[in-house]
Amino acid sequence: MNSIEMKGVLPHVFEQRTDLQSDVWKQDIRFEKGKTYLVEAMSGTGKSTLCSYILGYRHDYQGLVLFDQADTRTLSINDWAEIRKSHVSHLFQELRLFPELTALQNVQIKNNLTHFKEEAEIEHWFELLGIADKLQAKVGIMSFGQQQRVAMIRALVQPFDFLLVDEPISHLDDTNSAIMADIMTTEANRQGAGIIATSIGKHMNLNYDQTFHL
Amino acid sequence: MKLIWTLLRQHLSPAQLIGFFFANLFGMWVVMLGIQFYKDVIPLFTEEDSFINNNFLVVSKHVTTMSTLTGRNNAFSTSDIADIRRQPFCKRVGAFTSSQYKVSASMGMKGSAPLNTEMFFEAVPDSFVDANAADWQYIPGNKTVPVILPRTYIALYNFGFAQARNLPKVSDGLVGVIDMHIFINANGQHASFEGKVLGFSSRLNTILVPQSFIDWSNATYEPGKTEDPSRVILEVKSPTDDAIAKYMQQKGYDVEDNKLDAGKTTYFLRVVVSLVMLVGLLVSILSFYILMLSIYLLVQKNTRKLENLLLIGYLPSRVSLPYQLLTLGLNASTLILALALLAVTRHYYMDTISIIFPSVKAGPMLPAILTGCVIFVVVSIINILAIRKKVINIWYRR
Repeated sequence: MNSIEMKGVLPHVFEQRTDLQSDVWKQDIRFEKGKTYLVEAMSGTGKSTLCSYILGYRHDYQGLVLFDQADTRTLSINDWAEIRKSHVSHLFQELRLFPELTALQNVQIKNNLTHFKEEAEIEHWFELLGIADKLQAKVGIMSFGQQQRVAMIRALVQPFDFLLVDEPISHLDDTNSAIMADIMTTEANRQGAGIIATSIGKHMNLNYDQTFHL
Repeated sequence: MKLIWTLLRQHLSPAQLIGFFFANLFGMWVVMLGIQFYKDVIPLFTEEDSFINNNFLVVSKHVTTMSTLTGRNNAFSTSDIADIRRQPFCKRVGAFTSSQYKVSASMGMKGSAPLNTEMFFEAVPDSFVDANAADWQYIPGNKTVPVILPRTYIALYNFGFAQARNLPKVSDGLVGVIDMHIFINANGQHASFEGKVLGFSSRLNTILVPQSFIDWSNATYEPGKTEDPSRVILEVKSPTDDAIAKYMQQKGYDVEDNKLDAGKTTYFLRVVVSLVMLVGLLVSILSFYILMLSIYLLVQKNTRKLENLLLIGYLPSRVSLPYQLLTLGLNASTLILALALLAVTRHYYMDTISIIFPSVKAGPMLPAILTGCVIFVVVSIINILAIRKKVINIWYRR
């Protein structure tokens, strides 16, 4: 997948609003593979909604979301599963980790599906992010900041054309967010993938090709 | 797979599954047992009599308390017989001839203690008996007499006599090993004969010997004594003809119709077996609901996990699989256990039945097994589709 386009997309909930000032909603925008984008917004303006449209788990909008010029509304369940597995990786704002499993198992459950990374590399990332001691700890008892780092690793153990990170550093200090940004861009560059990051103010220091104000 | 199972088995309720397991086991067992029992037992009631044709009816005059007290004769006169012969439904009539002398007999298996009893003989015209003509005759001077015994005697012997004395049971295949000695005492004459049991009849409640033997022995031991027959045998064109029943009722005759009893018995057997199977089926259906509710509850409680798995790229078919395999495994193990239970139960009741009816042959097990398999397949398919539908609903966030 080389491009994601949005043509006149507007969530149904915003249809009644007349004062909408946005670079995204009701606009024609295009995300390209290999480039880095920042979507900045106030809370409540629909960042996670935007992500859910791209990941295909919500369809409550008017307009078109296109993958390589193809309308995503025509995609089947199998197509979407394949996209989530091999083309678009998403770091959820609410993380969506499994609290019953350990940090390592949370990453393995994704890697078992994709068989993309070696265990050694995964453990190396845990070390880099300073949570190597939490490998065997249940995610349910970890802090949100630690969970964010586990979720980031899980997002990286798959092939992707676009990496969609929804407020990835909201609970991280500057040092850790810098490390995370480094790991993320290294992996994205290796895969030649595009990055779409959202933020409500605090954002990673990346070389953004374009910034949208939602 | 292991990780997914670790996730999805959260909130699994063993108590509910055990409840389903036993309820389904019981339901399946009852349904299959009903079919199996029916298949095993029904041949006992529907088997053909090898000696007396189905179109033969045995008719006697009705015996009432009044006729016993007044000593009224129950015999058929020549005119009675002639009247029956004239009826349109009647093909031919034959009279029963009874022995006019005292007979006793001892019966036993080879080498075992005999059963001694007073007896009587009767004969019908040879053409009414479907036995080999060479076997079914008596030439005066012979010491061997062919005999057909009523099947009820065998039940009496097997169940009462042999059982109490630990003697071997007799079955149709073993008629040849029955030792039967016949002693005739009349007018100061004594004679003994060997009885050769040809087989058993469930349609004639009498000890049947060839007409030639009765004619000869009555003439020899009680010369000059004759008696009108108390029973006649007639061949009818169709045993279900209404005219027969009407005529018999009008004349006050009784028809000894073993077939009729068998018909009633099989009818009631069918009703009872159907009822039992219905209950079994009901239990099965209810247990199926328990399983469905239990799985629905499980899916509901694990909705968030299932949703997350789908969002990180798992296919709905993949996340449905653990629950589908769980129900499949449960259903399969209940089927296997129910089959085993059926085999054990069957072994037990066949033992009991074979004491009463040594000739019983085990019916085929295939219908019961097939029914069990059909229930298994249908229930499993519905389970699998229902689970799949639940997961698809989660995909669409309904």
